[in-house]
Amino acid sequence: MPQLNTDSIKERTFDAIVIGSGISGGWSAKELTEKGLKTLLLERGREVKHIKDYPTTNMLPYEFEHRNEVPLAIKEKSPIVSKCYAFREDTMHFFVKDDEHPYIQEKPFDWIRGYQVGGKSLLWARHTQRWSDFDFEGPARDGFAVDWPVRYRDIAPWYSYVEKFAGIAGNKDGLKELPDGEFLPAFQLNAVENYFKEQVALKYKTRHLISARLAHLSQPQAVHLEQGRGQCQNRTLCQRGCPFGGYFSSNASTIPWAQKTGNLTLRPFSVVHSIIYDEKKGKATGVKVIDTNTKEEIEYFAKIIFVNASAINTNLILLNSKSNRFPNGLGNDSGVLGKYVAFHHYGGNVSARYEGPLDKFRTDGRSPGSGYIPRFRNVYKQETDFLRGYAAGFSAGRGFYSDTSALGEILKDNLLNRKLGSWRVGSHMMGETIPKEQNCIKLDADKKDDWGVPLLKISVDFDDNDVKMLNDYFEQVSEMFTAAGFKDVKTSKRPGAPGLDIHEMGGVRMGHDPKTSMLNEWNQLHACKNVFVTDGACMTSTSTQNPSLTYMAFSARAAHFAVEEMKKGNL
Amino acid sequence: MKRRSAIKNLMIFAGGIYLLPSCTGNGKASIELKNLDILVGEEALLGEVAEAMIPKTADAPGARDLNLHLFTLKMVDDCHNTKDQKAFKAGLSSLNKISLEKNNKPFNQLDATTRIHFIEAVLKDDTSNPALRTFFEITKKRVIQGFTNSKYVMTDMKQYEMVPGRYNGYFPVEKV
Repeated sequence: MPQLNTDSIKERTFDAIVIGSGISGGWSAKELTEKGLKTLLLERGREVKHIKDYPTTNMLPYEFEHRNEVPLAIKEKSPIVSKCYAFREDTMHFFVKDDEHPYIQEKPFDWIRGYQVGGKSLLWARHTQRWSDFDFEGPARDGFAVDWPVRYRDIAPWYSYVEKFAGIAGNKDGLKELPDGEFLPAFQLNAVENYFKEQVALKYKTRHLISARLAHLSQPQAVHLEQGRGQCQNRTLCQRGCPFGGYFSSNASTIPWAQKTGNLTLRPFSVVHSIIYDEKKGKATGVKVIDTNTKEEIEYFAKIIFVNASAINTNLILLNSKSNRFPNGLGNDSGVLGKYVAFHHYGGNVSARYEGPLDKFRTDGRSPGSGYIPRFRNVYKQETDFLRGYAAGFSAGRGFYSDTSALGEILKDNLLNRKLGSWRVGSHMMGETIPKEQNCIKLDADKKDDWGVPLLKISVDFDDNDVKMLNDYFEQVSEMFTAAGFKDVKTSKRPGAPGLDIHEMGGVRMGHDPKTSMLNEWNQLHACKNVFVTDGACMTSTSTQNPSLTYMAFSARAAHFAVEEMKKGNL
Repeated sequence: MKRRSAIKNLMIFAGGIYLLPSCTGNGKASIELKNLDILVGEEALLGEVAEAMIPKTADAPGARDLNLHLFTLKMVDDCHNTKDQKAFKAGLSSLNKISLEKNNKPFNQLDATTRIHFIEAVLKDDTSNPALRTFFEITKKRVIQGFTNSKYVMTDMKQYEMVPGRYNGYFPVEKV
């Protein structure tokens, strides 16, 4: 086959290749380079350097041509990403536009993507709650998917490991269902959030409201200063990229750290076509890359490969890595590759109003934090007519408003003299969904993208369990709000297909048995031991917690394991 | 750098953002528009409407000082659908004619109070002049948005802080 580039094979050979520079790929690259491995970090999108490439980060609201509204022409060209809450004039350069990277929706699926160095770690919601054994034991207890090959005790030290470096603000709340971690001081809840916390504690033995654990430097430690990051300044403009490095991203943290070792080669504009499998050696030997600018095809070689391309694209790469040994995709002896995809159910909101003695308070400044209600349904035993449950976000706020009914000097006077509004409270649902065989990702047989990679066909949908869970969320949270004395309690369904949660998971699941899973307990392909998958694709089930922290822990753990295995000569 | 500042001088500052001027002398609006076809006279008339909604006062700039009529044009041009754009243009074009019918004077010859009463009456009126009503609705919404998001209100009047660096969830409400 033609090698059009002039580099010698030696120059294209590394100890390790990491595919994808988002939240998990950044961690894989950091750990492998720190252990001395010459590592090639491939990113399909463009370079985004910390601070330098955050063009809107210091812009004032009136400096945006459309006051942060996305122009209609862009919305019409990209209706899917336009549904995303974070897609605004100040952030739209960090999102993939629908028309640039098409995919086939066999069922509606809102796939939100960030193709650039740092991936979606620039854009994430930064909530970092640990899983517990109530989550890892879920599939085995409730009889769905397959048993996780790991338990909390396996992952706990790695949670600690990544938390210390990333910087997580939180309280030690002592909850079995949401284990404590290595925390910087928590962000304080406000008057009405604390009031609701007390009300919940008073009226429900097994329900709790805590300050959400967040990847923000509330009080930077030496290891954070060493990364060049500083204290969070409460701007809450995070998705633009933070000039202080106040929140964790690959760009602010793991990638520059990996670069400092001298062992990292970062190659943007490099879409991975497939992983190369050598039948004689019985392992993967490298990857086939298409340079997105020149469309040149280049092969890179390494002893180990970490696939961190984001859940769905990791599935795509493995499905497209076909060989005589693996005609259905790399490591896919079981036939489960691309199947049992799941997501988080963000389909509901409950809102209300508070009035009472706390009206003597308002908020001043801004907080990246909010309240978090860990899952309370079906935790210790099955107690509803649906499986699993949901966590709920909770926040209270009090804004200013102006009467805009008049015109002329009265209107102007009203706009310049705003009135304090009443306290508003709101909650959103974060539900666990059940991975099912029919919720799957496939390659289209004919259609290809601009780089010769087959288009993806996504077929993922809600089910009855999700509907029942949503109704229960509405009932329970409405009841909790009413019990707390909130007024005008209203429920609303959030429009949008699966995917808009931006927590798609699975397709390359972990499990004990190679016949029913793709990866072992070390995120290692059962059938191709030098390939590791540590992004959302590896997830056997979804639980309710925001998943990024768990991807970070899996990445660090698998990287250390891989290095040990290399030393032993097993890889 | 000289070239850059020269270009900047040519640009029109509208409530905080720079808008590209169009070729002058063709009888069209002073800023470049992709979808709307607005005449010089219509732009001036829109300025009168915007100023009626948020007038200059002794201590604070008005809509025209902040070029909020140009901001309105920009937003209608880029962020509204064709239906809105057509109604906006038709409403603006019909303004003087309808004002003559109702007030015996074109809009720009009305005094400030009559202007407000006229706009308010149209905004309440559901049926007889739908395009003019839509035009006033859009203009009011965008002029308010442009004003509250202007440098004057956000920075000079301190309604917005870029870097709070603090949070107090128990901030006492000032006694009135």
